[in-house]
Amino acid sequence: MPISPKPDCALLIVGHGSTENPDSSTPYFDHAEEIRQRGLFREVHCCFWKEEPSMREARYMIDADEVYVVPDFISEGYFTQEVIPRELGLEGPTTERHGKTWHYTLPVGVHSSMTGLILHRAREVAPDVDPAETTLFIVGHGTGLNKNSTKAVRDQAELIKQSDAGYAEVLDTYMEEQPFIADWADIAKTPHVVVVPFFIADGLHSYQDIPVLLGFEADEGEAASQRDVFRQNPYHLRGKTLHYSSAIGTERLMADVILDQVSDFDTKHRA
Amino acid sequence: MITEKLIDAIAQGIRQIGQIAILPDTREAAYALCHLDDLENLDGLEVHRDPATARDLSTWAEDGHYRFTKGELSLKSGWLMLLDDADSLRQALDLFYPASLGLWLANESGELEVENLRDKLNRQTGMYKFARNINDEGAQHLVQTVCGPANCCVKKILWQIDSDTPLEDSEASRFDGTLDTGRPAIPLLCREACNHFVAECRKESKKQFEAQSKQ
Repeated sequence: MPISPKPDCALLIVGHGSTENPDSSTPYFDHAEEIRQRGLFREVHCCFWKEEPSMREARYMIDADEVYVVPDFISEGYFTQEVIPRELGLEGPTTERHGKTWHYTLPVGVHSSMTGLILHRAREVAPDVDPAETTLFIVGHGTGLNKNSTKAVRDQAELIKQSDAGYAEVLDTYMEEQPFIADWADIAKTPHVVVVPFFIADGLHSYQDIPVLLGFEADEGEAASQRDVFRQNPYHLRGKTLHYSSAIGTERLMADVILDQVSDFDTKHRA
Repeated sequence: MITEKLIDAIAQGIRQIGQIAILPDTREAAYALCHLDDLENLDGLEVHRDPATARDLSTWAEDGHYRFTKGELSLKSGWLMLLDDADSLRQALDLFYPASLGLWLANESGELEVENLRDKLNRQTGMYKFARNINDEGAQHLVQTVCGPANCCVKKILWQIDSDTPLEDSEASRFDGTLDTGRPAIPLLCREACNHFVAECRKESKKQFEAQSKQ
């Protein structure tokens, strides 16, 4: 649903950030700039856990009395349920604090419009393959620490299976829990494979870790951001043709998903 | 409103923030920004007109390292940013020095909430949880070896170790957040210890723990 302009409100995009790799926060700034250009909000800002401005500094940047806080995170879990509410002082969907009204939306990764983005990315990276002869793998991190971290990936795989996209198989896989992406060639029964990392940013996981698990990069190599792993498609490996996409969060259309979460918040909490 | 107050401050003579010179009323744009080191060489600089490029200009230092703390005294020179209006100026400065304008104005009006080091360390989780074990002596020493212009940071420290323990007097604790060029400047303020300082606290507390274990 298209969002109506909010000329009196600020949008605050919250990301993780990194002290090691600036690529980690690039998508957040890109999404903010894209939304800023559309003129829908009075102000658009980013804040981070590991970079500046910190979440606790963010409120000092904002003039507007009403703020939509959108976690640009892939799943619900520790950060969206504990860290962000604690750092911003949020106590529910809407909180009055520091003289402002704060609306806290769900993270972008759990929105149903992510399904369209994954399909868009999958078609873009492998435009000439027949979906009926292709297995689509969506790759998440996976961790024994939080069940929610895999739910968003699982849900997306299920939604795409139920869609008319026509893929022979759609599977959720993980770096650190079963089913492992490292087993892709044994799992896939089709000649073609498309792999979409379900991460916000291109960092070590999408540049290096997953390519190593897939088998087209060696364990050690040049600095991650120097690589060109996404432009050498397709890879011919283990008797199959593999197409590898960059992280889903780098998709320009992610700006729309952020706006969709704002719109959904209004429908659910302010209608 | 932050943008309006910034423009008022410039009208009253503010011309600098961090390592950046603010130049109002240039021939080519409403506002221009450049590195303080480039003030004598404006004609030879690479010109940018999009405020969003401020992030690219401030991401890497000259020697190629990633500037994840933006108060670091390592901003690249060689560029001139020409900005059409006050909103663009604000956006560029928010990218060069995140939240610094808002923190400065909140401090001026007495509304800035400062977070002392112990509070910051006590809410660290994961691998950084161990940082809280640093003793006061170690933390005081770190301020003098990590903070201030001698250690490449241009921010004024507002926090204490805890509410009863101020920072010991040093060049780092005395620094006022502005580089001494004679140009009226907006100070860069440090309302909470940065992630770099927290990481150093973790290293130091591990060292202290290992030293005690050997005794």
